[in-house]
Amino acid sequence: MTSFLEFRGVSFSFGGNSALEDLNFTMEQGECVALIGPNGVGKTTLLRLAAGIVACAQGSVSLDGRRFDRLPRGAAARMVALVPQRFEVPFDFTVEQIVEQGRTPYLGLFSGLGRHDRIAVERALDLTSITSLRKRIFNELSGGERQRVKIALGLAQEPRLLLLDEPTQNLDLGRQLELLDCIRLLHDEGVTILAAMHDLQLIPGAFSSVLLLGPDREVRKGDPHDILQPEILERAFDCPPRRHPSLVAENRLPLEKTR
Amino acid sequence: METEIVEKTTSASAMPVRRAIRFYDDAFFLPILAFLVVVLAGVLVLSMGTGATKIGLREVLTSLWMGHASHSTNSVILFEIRLPRVLASVLVGAALSVAGLLFQGLFRNPMADPYVIGSSGGAALGAGLGLFLLPRFSFLGFGAAASMAFVGSVATIALVYWLARTNGRVPVVTLLLAGFAVSTMLSYSTYFLVVLDDNFGLRTRVLASWLTGVISVPRWTQLEVTAAMIGCGLIFCFPLARRLNTLALGDEYARQVGVQVEKTHLAIILTGSLLTAAAVSLGGVISFVGLVVPHMARLVMGPDHVRLVPVTALAGAIFLVLADTLARTMLAPSEIPVGLLTAFIGGPFFLYLLRRTRREYTF
Repeated sequence: MTSFLEFRGVSFSFGGNSALEDLNFTMEQGECVALIGPNGVGKTTLLRLAAGIVACAQGSVSLDGRRFDRLPRGAAARMVALVPQRFEVPFDFTVEQIVEQGRTPYLGLFSGLGRHDRIAVERALDLTSITSLRKRIFNELSGGERQRVKIALGLAQEPRLLLLDEPTQNLDLGRQLELLDCIRLLHDEGVTILAAMHDLQLIPGAFSSVLLLGPDREVRKGDPHDILQPEILERAFDCPPRRHPSLVAENRLPLEKTR
Repeated sequence: METEIVEKTTSASAMPVRRAIRFYDDAFFLPILAFLVVVLAGVLVLSMGTGATKIGLREVLTSLWMGHASHSTNSVILFEIRLPRVLASVLVGAALSVAGLLFQGLFRNPMADPYVIGSSGGAALGAGLGLFLLPRFSFLGFGAAASMAFVGSVATIALVYWLARTNGRVPVVTLLLAGFAVSTMLSYSTYFLVVLDDNFGLRTRVLASWLTGVISVPRWTQLEVTAAMIGCGLIFCFPLARRLNTLALGDEYARQVGVQVEKTHLAIILTGSLLTAAAVSLGGVISFVGLVVPHMARLVMGPDHVRLVPVTALAGAIFLVLADTLARTMLAPSEIPVGLLTAFIGGPFFLYLLRRTRREYTF
């Protein structure tokens, strides 16, 4: 039996510098996986490969048993959505107009949104709780609201696999929690999720497993409690033992007064 | 130690609320379109009545209704001089405005305009070269000027696009610099053609006026050719409009949702060039129309290109008919080139936009 998402011997390089080399891992349908690893290890590249936007130099990436290099782009876009880290909108589109763009893989050049497209858009707005923002201008929203719009845009594609690149970046504590609630809700709805995460403390409780891309081509996948261990993290992130607050339980907020 | 509670300032966090007139809702689209059609009709009749010989509203309307029947002086003025010229303004205004809209979408940059990015200059040089080198050339009924204007426009945009693009984006600075350099070289090359021409006859005067932008009284065949070009261009815009909306969210995003980005870019360049070339072969290099009109349309209608294409075309036609009427009556009996007038209006507007877009949205 084949896995839902499968990387087999994948290599990818940027102008001579290899970003990923001989990467192997699998993901099952319904999993909610946090992708962690030090800066520059190739997390974003992995997500782009998983979305089929870039082709790998060697090896193969397949989704639901179909290899991306043999899948037309339009068909791939109906299966997987990538919510990018950076997203610029040069004009004053409303939230609704932006989220409707997620239906592009389902529309022909001349056809407008049909009934099912409208339903998918409504559902995406609803799942990310931004229905009330639909008429607002995207560029005038706060960071947390924009993050939700980006996720809604991905959901409007009705993907079977949702890829998120740093969804909690630039969010304050409250908005981070809202975002995690949103991820949990999507997971409960049966969406398979792979999200690159920097803030390790947010992972337990929201994600069912963790994929660690370490230096030296180390790849580990497992339960958050097994992977998020100080010894493993210190080695993967080249962090001196017990120096980072995330790695020391008694350092967590709220700090206790010592005097 | 007590934490000091800093008094909340309201100005710091509040986003500036821009009070543009917005009719984003679908319900406004058709009424606005109908309104523009009515205004365009009114402006046409008004423009045909104004000039050295004033012709009353009733007479314009009855003449138009009856057709070119009588041989009275007024009828000759209306049908041989004013009507072709007004129709030329309609075509040029619509074509340049929609071309501007397409280029702004392509470059994802509200400062793009056929004049600013040099495509008008390229079309003018192409048309000039066509007139000089291949005076007898004809392709599918299009003369050398029109066909070469198209080639010149495509080549220029491709060049500016390639020069200005960095990391998949076209920043304002590189766009303006590349456009400025290329269009300056092109317009001086066209001047060079003027100098080279030894028989200082008709062609030179045609070329010289091309560089400032003058809508002269066109021949009917010329109108038919350009109307065909512009008609095709506008039809191509409709499938492109939806793609432009997706491309506005970035090439990478568009690729992700299955848009064939490179092919779409090429289609936009070709369509915009067709429109620019048609406009330039009628009216020469008229600056900033493609900047001002789409911008105004966007302020009112919002950025949805599906609605912007027809609105921009109509608004551009209205704008240029008004501008040309003003150009030929303001200093009567002498005429000023309409390109001069649009530069006077568009130049300051362009600078205002440049100041404003310093606040670039990124996320």
